[in-house]
Amino acid sequence: MEKLKKKIGSFSFWNWVIASIIFRLILIYFPKNLNLSSRPEVSTPLTSFRRLAEGYWLKQSSMSSYAGSMYHGSPLLLSLLGPLTVKRIEGQPNHLLYSLVSVIADVVSAMLIRATGQNLRLAYLRSLESLDLVKQIDVSEFLFSGDIAALIYLCNPFTIVACVGLSTSPIENMAVILCLYGACSRLIPLAAFGWVIATHLSLYPAILIIPVIFLLGCGPDSPPRKLFLQRHQQKEVLNQLKLPPGFSWGPIIHFAFWAFLWSVYVLVLCGISLKQFGGLWEMFKSTYGFILTVEDLSPNIGVLWYFFAEVFEFFRNFFLIVFHVNILFMILPLSIRLRHRPCYLAFVYVAICSMLKSYPSVGDSALYLGLLGWFVNELADMQFSLFLFCGYVGVSLLSPVMHNLWIWRGTGNANFYFTTAMVYACLQIVLVVEGVSAVLNHDRKLRILITGKP
Amino acid sequence: METFINPKSLFHLLLLPCLLLYSSIAYNSSPVEAAMHTNNWAVLVCTSRFWFNYRHMANTLSLYRTVKRLGIPDERIILMLADDMACNTRNKYPAQVFNNENHRLNLYGDNVEVDYRGYEVTVENFLRVLTGRHETAVPRSKRLLSDEGSHILLYMTGHGGDEFLKFQDSEELQSHDLADAVKQMKEKHRFKELLIMVDTCQAATLFNQSPGVLAIGSSMKGENSYSHHLDSDVGVSVVDRFTYYTLAFFERLNIYDNASLSSLFSSYNPSLLMSTAYYRKDLYKRRLEEVPVTNFFGSVMETIHTDAAYKALSRRNSGRFEDEMSLDQSVHHIKRRMLIKVNDGDEIHDINPELLQGEEGASKCPWSTFRKKFQKAENVDSLLNYGLVAMIPLLVISTWLVQ
Repeated sequence: MEKLKKKIGSFSFWNWVIASIIFRLILIYFPKNLNLSSRPEVSTPLTSFRRLAEGYWLKQSSMSSYAGSMYHGSPLLLSLLGPLTVKRIEGQPNHLLYSLVSVIADVVSAMLIRATGQNLRLAYLRSLESLDLVKQIDVSEFLFSGDIAALIYLCNPFTIVACVGLSTSPIENMAVILCLYGACSRLIPLAAFGWVIATHLSLYPAILIIPVIFLLGCGPDSPPRKLFLQRHQQKEVLNQLKLPPGFSWGPIIHFAFWAFLWSVYVLVLCGISLKQFGGLWEMFKSTYGFILTVEDLSPNIGVLWYFFAEVFEFFRNFFLIVFHVNILFMILPLSIRLRHRPCYLAFVYVAICSMLKSYPSVGDSALYLGLLGWFVNELADMQFSLFLFCGYVGVSLLSPVMHNLWIWRGTGNANFYFTTAMVYACLQIVLVVEGVSAVLNHDRKLRILITGKP
Repeated sequence: METFINPKSLFHLLLLPCLLLYSSIAYNSSPVEAAMHTNNWAVLVCTSRFWFNYRHMANTLSLYRTVKRLGIPDERIILMLADDMACNTRNKYPAQVFNNENHRLNLYGDNVEVDYRGYEVTVENFLRVLTGRHETAVPRSKRLLSDEGSHILLYMTGHGGDEFLKFQDSEELQSHDLADAVKQMKEKHRFKELLIMVDTCQAATLFNQSPGVLAIGSSMKGENSYSHHLDSDVGVSVVDRFTYYTLAFFERLNIYDNASLSSLFSSYNPSLLMSTAYYRKDLYKRRLEEVPVTNFFGSVMETIHTDAAYKALSRRNSGRFEDEMSLDQSVHHIKRRMLIKVNDGDEIHDINPELLQGEEGASKCPWSTFRKKFQKAENVDSLLNYGLVAMIPLLVISTWLVQ
């Protein structure tokens, strides 16, 4: 019965995957990709396709690809994706090859999410077994979090829009997911590669080093170690095999070595490609410097552009530090509180980053919404889930309308658009806060089941 | 007894004055000739606004038409017009600008590309264009991207006076500013030859401080430049005399004629111009009879046939000698230059002349030959591609090994 159920479940999973691929292909064949690449929600100065093509053209004309402050990404991405921006096939839509690359990146990310989700689910079941809670919790009710997460990622309208809108988000997301997959499956070179590439492409995944360290040191998400000790105190049988292992430094050192190796490789390649145009310093200035100093203030779905358009020059540096420290100071408390659940910690970090980064887009939201799917079992009792869902739908419908009112019709102004951006930020904050409290509630419930006292 | 002066010491004794002699020759024949004439640029500036200065706009547009007709493409013309005459509300012929009463030529045709228009034509922008010091966001079409092989034609028209040119009725460009900009351009190797043509009152005073360039102005100090005729239909004067006779000269030419600059300069008749067209060539090295007008006003280039693949020269390396060596050696003036260099080099440095041919073989050290191969553009690209492609098998192998 279980096998049949599983078979039916997995059959419709592949159906959904194929359906989403076909849907993406249909959208790609619409003229000019439905002009999605010109929407500010999809393409930011960091992920825009037009800027990639411009950077590639500049490179082909023997100039620095960062000239004119158009392209702000990695030179390796230029060499990889640049030729795809100009290649045209007769009778097919203009950027077919590039769109196909995005679709493939999405599918690979979904497969990796599924594999990591299965890993997490198995680890969860194992930890429940070792806590002897299998009878008390109905395990057969457990949803296949891996499949659900993969489907959420693939069928999410945000992901589809980011893929069809020709942004570089699918590739950045793939790097982050590769890193998390490698860390969960203890494939240290893969994790190091994913982390280095994700940090190289956009600066923010650098903070994912903390969940990765926890993943490699302790293993995937599990209830707090205290509970295991309490359980075995109760049963007075200290079976070392059933206890989860303590923190081990060996894999961390291994990871540091591989990360160093991959970063040297990437930096050497970048240095070669930028030899005549100012070298690595120019690259850091144009990519990381651009991200950190928020030079471009064109509207997007974030909150920084509006603020920095009106701040006085004298206070600009101060507020830049405030906004960036906003992300940094949340790292430590969360890592202390959620150290037993590194994948959830990674999800929270990704959500915070995509809210407070300099140039957010819907591709970043696609990532953390996909990762949310891993925790459907832990987050089953999350409050405000309907409110959040409706809020997301509402914002994604209203935001283009407000943009149109502001820019094209001229009957609205920037405040209209910024309102939707603020509401979006509020929704993300509510999601993060409620999510963390739901997970902590889940842990509390487990503790109640074991010790009997709240 | 051994003589004090033996052949060897005699040779050493004579070497020193030879060294001095040849080093002075080498120093005087400065590396200006090292650059080949590769492209032509034109900067055409009209500095007056208001409807009654229609003729200045017509002057500039006529020159624009001429240089385009003789071959300079839009991307190498910087056209600065301080006001819009074609779509001016007082223009009876909308979108049309004429330089003659017979209205034969519409200068504002289909493909006029104005780079600086209206209030953008300021002294600051003009000097920025000449010296190349722009803000980072200025687009390429607004920059003078000349290099050391460029011939630049700089044409200015408007209202002027003793050592100044009036911009936009509110500011002025003085002759020492222009001279300073030209000197900066020379130091930055932004031109090979520069021809300044000015059509204003007392034009010759504007460039009396600009060194090393060829310049011609429509009138001397104390003289006015006059307009040619009044078009009673449009209501204003449509062209100035100096430009009118310049155009008359050019309308007789087509792209294949090789009229010389001296014939252009001698075609100006002071009685017809009602002013003396004065030109200075005291610091210009070539003889005017040998310089064809298309060196500045058109773009007729000498073609070099080569069977080798075309390599895009990066701007920083464009002066390197070995890149020129890789072109087909059958072009005679390259060979002549190389022979001169070789002759100089022989006595001073005692180097094998073949060494100048390809520096890859020069040094024995493999690292420097590797580095030299490295500096060519396409090698960098292919290396990068190999590096990127190699990332994936490396990743797979490392993951599989560690497992």
